[in-house]
Amino acid sequence: MPLLDVRNLSVSIPTPDGDVHAVRSVSLQIERGEIHGVIGESGCGKTMTGMATLGLVPKGARIAADRFHFDGEDLGANAARLRGRRIGLISQDPAAALNPVLSIARQLDDVIRTHRDMPRQARRAEAASLLAATGLPDPERVLKSYPHQLSGGMQQRVVIAQALATGADFLIADEPTTALDVSVGAQVLALLRRLVTERGLTVLMITHDMDVIAEACDRATVLYAGRSVETGPVGAVLRSPGHPYTRALLSALPDAAPHGARLAAIDGSIPPPRSAITGCAFAPRCPQAMAVCSAAVPPERGRDTHRWLCHLPEDAA
Amino acid sequence: MTPVPMLDVDRLVIRYRAGLFAARPKPAVNGASFRLERGETLGIVGESGSGKTSLLRAILRLLPVESGAIRLDGQDWLALKGDALRKARQKIGVVSQNPFLSLSPRLTIEEILAEPMLAAGQQRGPAMREKIAALLSDCGLPADFLTRRARELSGGQAQRVAIARALALEPGLLILDEPTSALDVSVQAQILNLLSDLKASRGLSMLFVTHNLKVVAHISDSLLVMRRGDVIEFGRTEDVIGAPAEAYTRELLSFGRHDAFS
Repeated sequence: MPLLDVRNLSVSIPTPDGDVHAVRSVSLQIERGEIHGVIGESGCGKTMTGMATLGLVPKGARIAADRFHFDGEDLGANAARLRGRRIGLISQDPAAALNPVLSIARQLDDVIRTHRDMPRQARRAEAASLLAATGLPDPERVLKSYPHQLSGGMQQRVVIAQALATGADFLIADEPTTALDVSVGAQVLALLRRLVTERGLTVLMITHDMDVIAEACDRATVLYAGRSVETGPVGAVLRSPGHPYTRALLSALPDAAPHGARLAAIDGSIPPPRSAITGCAFAPRCPQAMAVCSAAVPPERGRDTHRWLCHLPEDAA
Repeated sequence: MTPVPMLDVDRLVIRYRAGLFAARPKPAVNGASFRLERGETLGIVGESGSGKTSLLRAILRLLPVESGAIRLDGQDWLALKGDALRKARQKIGVVSQNPFLSLSPRLTIEEILAEPMLAAGQQRGPAMREKIAALLSDCGLPADFLTRRARELSGGQAQRVAIARALALEPGLLILDEPTSALDVSVQAQILNLLSDLKASRGLSMLFVTHNLKVVAHISDSLLVMRRGDVIEFGRTEDVIGAPAEAYTRELLSFGRHDAFS
């Protein structure tokens, strides 16, 4: 049984101008002990999917799903209780996640005191050991520091230590390296991998960066216009993508074309979030679209764990 | 005789002083030397604190330099003062990372594009309107955008407006500071294609600053890698990518998908 099991999740937010369909139909099966990447461009619903899992959707938002389970519990009813106990969040900007006027010791202690019944001395030792587990040298010095005295990479490690302090075994990492330099980001990704191996964590990695997927993830799900369109092992998705959108996204990368040659930009733009979509959401921009594509919801194709939704027969890929 | 390069930077040192009696800190830019040939693109790569922003600011004359020389279009760039500097600055156009911060939310796109021309003393009128329409179409935007405001545009469209504005005074040198870092991959591809087109049609020289080596490796003719104030690598892009001399460059290149550059 997958740890996170989501089938046809939708999140709509009512506004005076009509419903915003932030998530239209996302399915995700995340197994214990894997790093699962969710990749897509702005407005594809990747962050809202993570927020729904944390029970942090905007007020008035409507969540519907055929199945929305975490470790057998229904997230529709229990997300707020699981948040902070089983499910933790690592956000994009560690400087914004930390309180600038409190020491790291105080901020870590706040989390440990809330979640665990421990005397003060033990909490201090636990805080130091959590910082050490994130690879920070000299945890005692870091505990005495304030966020502005730490580099971005160190701050992100403190945020990860905070998430671990709750005892969470499932982390949602929303663009955890986007605000960091490439070399520092690579270290943070290596740390997440080590925590997965050593502590049996499971990670949902939200990103827009194919290089992060390749560097850090075991499996990946591609989102387009609020729908999951392809899922599979990272190697298969990156090397033999099945969905035309995944192929287009990979060919638009600057290293996909010879030096100086024109890049294969994707024409058009994503459908407006308030519009209804019949058929395949990518059909208007798809170079291989047929008449049926904008009329009917595409069937599932692929084999084993590599699946995608497309009207094109498999051998056309 | 070889033609005069667009930009010639020689042993440039930039140092921030903590205070009158404070110890001299390590320079932010430690003796950078490089040339940007006319009609070429130079990529500058480095992480935060590497000195790339200090270098750009010095080239824009927004920051005093400690020593070294900058020649722009053959001119002793650091010697210019007052009106002469103001006039000469029109040779440089600047595009920054976030178009929504660099474009005024109050003005229409037409007013945004008119501003640099008015500041340079050009007269309002049919000729200016025509020029604005041409800039817009050169940057791949339809004419009905003239009456819109920046907040009504997507990130990619807004960045096209920012590029159009940077070209309003027909500069020879375009400085691009992380121009695609806030954009999605498919939009990034459109903007990189637009820059290639503009380079070809206008013979622009470009200074393209980014932390993303793969982006700049695609578009640049030569490449400069900075680390902690030092220029650790400078050469033709294909040489640097093909045989990086520094471990740091190799580390940047090896991140992510490994079929790249094959």
